[in-house]
Amino acid sequence: MIGAYRALFVAGFQNASQYRVQLFLYVFFSVLRPIIFLAAWVAVAQARGGSVGTFGVADFAAYYIALTIVLHLALAWDAYEFEFLVRQGRLSPLLLRPLHPIHYAVVNNIVWKLFTIAALVPVLALTAITFGARFEGEPWHYALFVPSLVLGAAIRFLFGWIVATAAFWITRVSSVSTFFDRIQFIFSGQIAPLALLPGALQVIAYAMPFAYMFGVPVDILRGATTFEQTLLLLAGQVFWVAVCYLALQVAWSRGLRQYSGVGA
Amino acid sequence: MRYLRLLALFVRTELQFELAYRVNFLAELLSLVIIVVTSVAAVLILFAYTQTMNGWSFPAMLVLLGVFYIVQGVGELAFTPSFQQFMEQVRLGTLDFVLLKPASSQFLVSLRYFKLSNVAQVALGVIVTALGLARLGDELTLIALGEFAVALFCGLVLVYVLLLSLSTLAFWFVRVENLLAVYEAFLDAGRFPVDIYPGWLRLTMSTVIPIGIAITVPAQAVAGRLEALGLDLMVLVTIAAWAFARWFWRVGLRSYTGASA
Repeated sequence: MIGAYRALFVAGFQNASQYRVQLFLYVFFSVLRPIIFLAAWVAVAQARGGSVGTFGVADFAAYYIALTIVLHLALAWDAYEFEFLVRQGRLSPLLLRPLHPIHYAVVNNIVWKLFTIAALVPVLALTAITFGARFEGEPWHYALFVPSLVLGAAIRFLFGWIVATAAFWITRVSSVSTFFDRIQFIFSGQIAPLALLPGALQVIAYAMPFAYMFGVPVDILRGATTFEQTLLLLAGQVFWVAVCYLALQVAWSRGLRQYSGVGA
Repeated sequence: MRYLRLLALFVRTELQFELAYRVNFLAELLSLVIIVVTSVAAVLILFAYTQTMNGWSFPAMLVLLGVFYIVQGVGELAFTPSFQQFMEQVRLGTLDFVLLKPASSQFLVSLRYFKLSNVAQVALGVIVTALGLARLGDELTLIALGEFAVALFCGLVLVYVLLLSLSTLAFWFVRVENLLAVYEAFLDAGRFPVDIYPGWLRLTMSTVIPIGIAITVPAQAVAGRLEALGLDLMVLVTIAAWAFARWFWRVGLRSYTGASA
């Protein structure tokens, strides 16, 4: 297994280094998007004399910079590629290979992330200085951020694959993905920090997997949680990883029985 | 007149094409509804904490969001599908056949392909705009509405000019699909008034990539926030930009040599 992964990583890096313009554009997108909502919240904060709830301008800046990092490291886009594989019938040869297709996706994700983070960090540092971002975490915040990020990424990754397996039944899955992307857009802390979602929405966010994908690691990185809260949130993440893992097992084996290669 | 007839013909063939994939067509419509509804929800969340945002009231923000979806919808309905095809044709050399047809090449390149599900996006944009306008109520004057219409038209022309100019670059650089991605990134920033952004972004979106003014100025007109000379300037800039894009297109066309030549 380790040997297989090493070979996949080498191939992945060689493949990724062909796309330098894409790299630049990706970094550009990743930074521009959070700035849009950061600017909006800064405008709201200024209209209220400098702060919204416990958030001042410096906190919003820290929040959206942390979010950019987390989104970058935890986001997976497999649903889109998987639909393509099923629709074009290209999944069939992959299924015949000795490795489960999910391993290829794992490697491609990690490669692309390592490849782009180097370009992203200086741009983010610049944004942090411009907006005077305030990170107030203790050392243990940063230590616990790492498992939280990994768990968040795992939830997003598994969830994306559950949605993607819908392609076994309906072939064109992109509108299903759009639906979940938009739900995630609201409930994972992208349009507003979770603490600022109005009452009922906040409850819904913490009752669904979305908050645990991005919002939770972001708050830990920012140093906005107490030690007990952090442990509770991590437990919630572990719970959702387990649920998503089991759901994917069921969906994958059911779906594979359903699958008949398109064009075959 | 002849061009209108051609346009109707293109739309009809594209409609037949889309209706071949009916379930997908419906799914795309549904996605658009979800996207617009969640965007309105986002604005509602922001305004749960404030009455105004950098001087923009909630109804004015609704108008702005509506204009955003009208502009984005028209772009995705008519402009980007055609320009994407055009770039592909330059790369493959099949543009030769387009140039041989007895009609304006600029017309054939810009308005040949349509993604008709985006009619719904435009319609949703109109609904959101109308909701905002209705909430503005008494503050609204006929003059302001007229200014809104003029500014919106100019905004659409500016977006067309931007896309035409970006596409024209394909004559020299061949692979420019990535430039359309840049356009989309900046377009996304158009969902909020351009005046809330940091200087460099505001400047870019008001000059080189005029998406900011294309969306913000129409909303300013009905919100009574139009700066003196704002609209006159926009009309002048639009005319100048149009002239530039036409000139640039002809220069580009002259340097086109066909892919296999």
